[in-house]
Amino acid sequence: MFRTEALRSTNRRQNKPIPKIAFLAGWVALLAVVPVIYILIRALTGDPELWQRIIQTRLIKLFSNTLWLVLAVTSGTTLLGVSMAWLTERTDVPGRKIFRWLLALPLAIPPYIGAIIHLALLRPHGGLISQWLEGTNFASLPLPNPTGFWGAAFVLVIFSFPYVFLLSGAAFRSLNASFDEAARMLGRTSWQTFWQVTIPAIRPGITAGALLVSLDILAEYGTVALLRFETFSSAIFVQLAGRYDRSAASILSGVLILLALVILYGEFRIQGQSQFTQIGSHWRPTTLIHLGKRRIWGFLALLFTVLVSFIIPVGLLLFWSAQGILDQQTISGMQIGSKGLLSFIFNSVWSSGFAAILAVLFSIPIAIYVVRYPGKVSRLFSRISQVGYAIPGVVVALSLVLLVNRFLPFLYATPLVVVMAYVVRYIPQAVRSSESAMHQLSPNLEEASRLLKRNALQTFVQVTLPLILPGLLAGSALVFLSSLKELPATLLLRPAGFETLAVRVWIWTEEGFYLQAAPASLLLVVISIIPLYFLLRRETIFRQ
Amino acid sequence: MKLEIEHLSKHFSGNQYPAVNDIKFSMQAYEILSFVGPSGCGKTTTLRLIAGLERPDQGVIRLDQHIISNTRTFIPPEKRNIGMVFQDHALFPHLSVFDNIAFGLKGFTKAEKKDRVSELLELVGLEPLAKRFPHILSGGERQRVALARALAPKPALLLMDEPFSSLDAHLRLEVREQIRNILKASQSTVIFVTHDQEEALFMGDRLAVFNQGKLEQIGSPETIFHDSGSRFVAAFMGDSDFVRGKSMPSGFQTELGLLDQQNDYSPGTDIEIAIRADDIDFELNQQGNGRIINRFFRGAFNFYRVELDSGAIVHVFKLHTEIFQPGDRVLTYFNAGHPLKIFTR
Repeated sequence: MFRTEALRSTNRRQNKPIPKIAFLAGWVALLAVVPVIYILIRALTGDPELWQRIIQTRLIKLFSNTLWLVLAVTSGTTLLGVSMAWLTERTDVPGRKIFRWLLALPLAIPPYIGAIIHLALLRPHGGLISQWLEGTNFASLPLPNPTGFWGAAFVLVIFSFPYVFLLSGAAFRSLNASFDEAARMLGRTSWQTFWQVTIPAIRPGITAGALLVSLDILAEYGTVALLRFETFSSAIFVQLAGRYDRSAASILSGVLILLALVILYGEFRIQGQSQFTQIGSHWRPTTLIHLGKRRIWGFLALLFTVLVSFIIPVGLLLFWSAQGILDQQTISGMQIGSKGLLSFIFNSVWSSGFAAILAVLFSIPIAIYVVRYPGKVSRLFSRISQVGYAIPGVVVALSLVLLVNRFLPFLYATPLVVVMAYVVRYIPQAVRSSESAMHQLSPNLEEASRLLKRNALQTFVQVTLPLILPGLLAGSALVFLSSLKELPATLLLRPAGFETLAVRVWIWTEEGFYLQAAPASLLLVVISIIPLYFLLRRETIFRQ
Repeated sequence: MKLEIEHLSKHFSGNQYPAVNDIKFSMQAYEILSFVGPSGCGKTTTLRLIAGLERPDQGVIRLDQHIISNTRTFIPPEKRNIGMVFQDHALFPHLSVFDNIAFGLKGFTKAEKKDRVSELLELVGLEPLAKRFPHILSGGERQRVALARALAPKPALLLMDEPFSSLDAHLRLEVREQIRNILKASQSTVIFVTHDQEEALFMGDRLAVFNQGKLEQIGSPETIFHDSGSRFVAAFMGDSDFVRGKSMPSGFQTELGLLDQQNDYSPGTDIEIAIRADDIDFELNQQGNGRIINRFFRGAFNFYRVELDSGAIVHVFKLHTEIFQPGDRVLTYFNAGHPLKIFTR
């Protein structure tokens, strides 16, 4: 009896060899988590007196500012995103196909460029609108203050709502007509059906979108800095770039990361349940709601949203760019030393592209490990590798400054540090894309390949890779898009002379040269539209 | 022996019971063996252990006298020379029919590949579809491509995991006959997994009935059906009902009366008799031993469900002309003409 027990336990160990992929995945998870751990340790081991001073002087104000902004923007984007998705997916409002595209396109405009346009229009003195009004009877009309809490909340809602719009649109689309019909047959009015069936069914999708938006707002630097509303991100930036106080920055970063980790944990919990609306084989689209005469109001709501979030900003950028190009002085101002726009484009594209490739390569072992060997360890690795969602750009910059200086000094002051920051910050997006691509691949295909005489590596190259390639490309497009728009980490980490489009737009704006910044902004938007278009074509609501 | 399996066991962590529990059987060359049993009985796991897609906890698997798996050895699936047809066919969507079938032909020259693939396309009757991609094929065509792909490298053993379950019912009958003919024509040794008793009887030269990780019985379709080795096999394979009774020197005393059948049980043993719908009959009788609960019209037959006074349920075939109403009292009696299967309680 004793003997057989002993035998069995050795068998167990023999029979469950740790797959090699686990080691690769472990390395990736480690790389992804080191910056966070390092900052948390720095924060916890910070000088107690400094802690006390920060708690007394800064923390409450920063906390309330940051939380209020997150709350306002998240509710705003949810409201706007879900109603836009409802109008374009569930009603017969005219032009809804074109509106679907136009509503997603603001994702190509980084919020800080939105903030620049917002300021250019609404500045109390010198703003375009106030200039127009000056000659007219409306000169004394009180214009809303473009800066501060409401300004920042407005700009961030306008340029973040597409996340929620896309996720809730997909959720609306995947709802089976039979849910609605069953509810109606069970005696619910269409209004009751909406609240009791439709909304609960799409709730996980909406919540996941809203939580991702809140993480984005925690990380947002450019907009809040420009509109002078202080949050954790902008305060850390000032500590780092203005006062060179890394200890205070570490403490603030530690608090910010903890806040973000709580939200990320909530998002992970939601992710697990968001699968219950699936398009099965018996799926039928729900019938559209006929708005009748109210169609015009729906149409106007869509038109207004699209005008404010995409058409006016891009129109103005076009107009200013044309003005700028015609003006000799502005043109020469765009030349920095020997470098011009072309060099900024080149730097933007190669650094983002390189980051995209690295992030996707790193994400592959994680995806294979968690999808093919589901279990506690693999899920932990996958989640750890997604911790970058919770590290704002300023914090990534701080931890890389400290870590690179200490352990990889030869990398310091090279553009590679910037690429590293993009990888750490955006690898979660690649991990998600790769995981979902792996999920869609039936394990039977890989098993069939093994039985047809291919070993594990040959199977990966000949079967797995070609089939998950579209998913990997989508992941890299996403990382590319995000890196292209990234501002704070690039500003803090870039070596002197390494200028990307985002950096140039920012510097010109800070110096007050709005006209000069316009062509670079426009280029950034146009380049962003390319990966965005590729990504949107894969979205549920743009298929067929 | 082509395939020999001894003491094969597999326990998935987190499950209370082993998925495969100490299984032993062997197969002759060119034989088709059906694995049948309810879902979760261990038949698919056994198949995957043989394929090398799972590692056994214990046991020995020998293929053509070579050990492919025991406690020390584990030959990976790609080196076992075993073919498999998957439930969802698992055709590679990025490869054409030709390339799918040629995928397993490692080490073949281009010309050899072409010959072997066209040989198989002919065997499965799909020559015109070589250049098509899997997503535009019909279910039956995919089925045959999957079979051709598995057969192409001339595997020592072919495994089929519920290959017809994704097909429509009417197509299934047609396809399974085609497939059986192909398997016999190509002289394959095959293990065929299904949860459908009728399909198992049709496909298998022999049947292996699984229940809760154990191999309950292995034998010819006739043996399994008429001489079930356990109550489970009788219930699962033969749609049997069970009537309780006691053994007597001259037969068995039950509520259907005395079953006149020689036996070696000591008198007074509690037994159960497995009864099929054609083993018993009834007549209207107010003083009878049961009551009709339902009549099912089956074309040539009426199929009656009768509740005996003890509460036991039995089923009875009658000609389609003999119609009785639910609620009628009936006298049910043995009418088999052959020995019935007895199990002790």
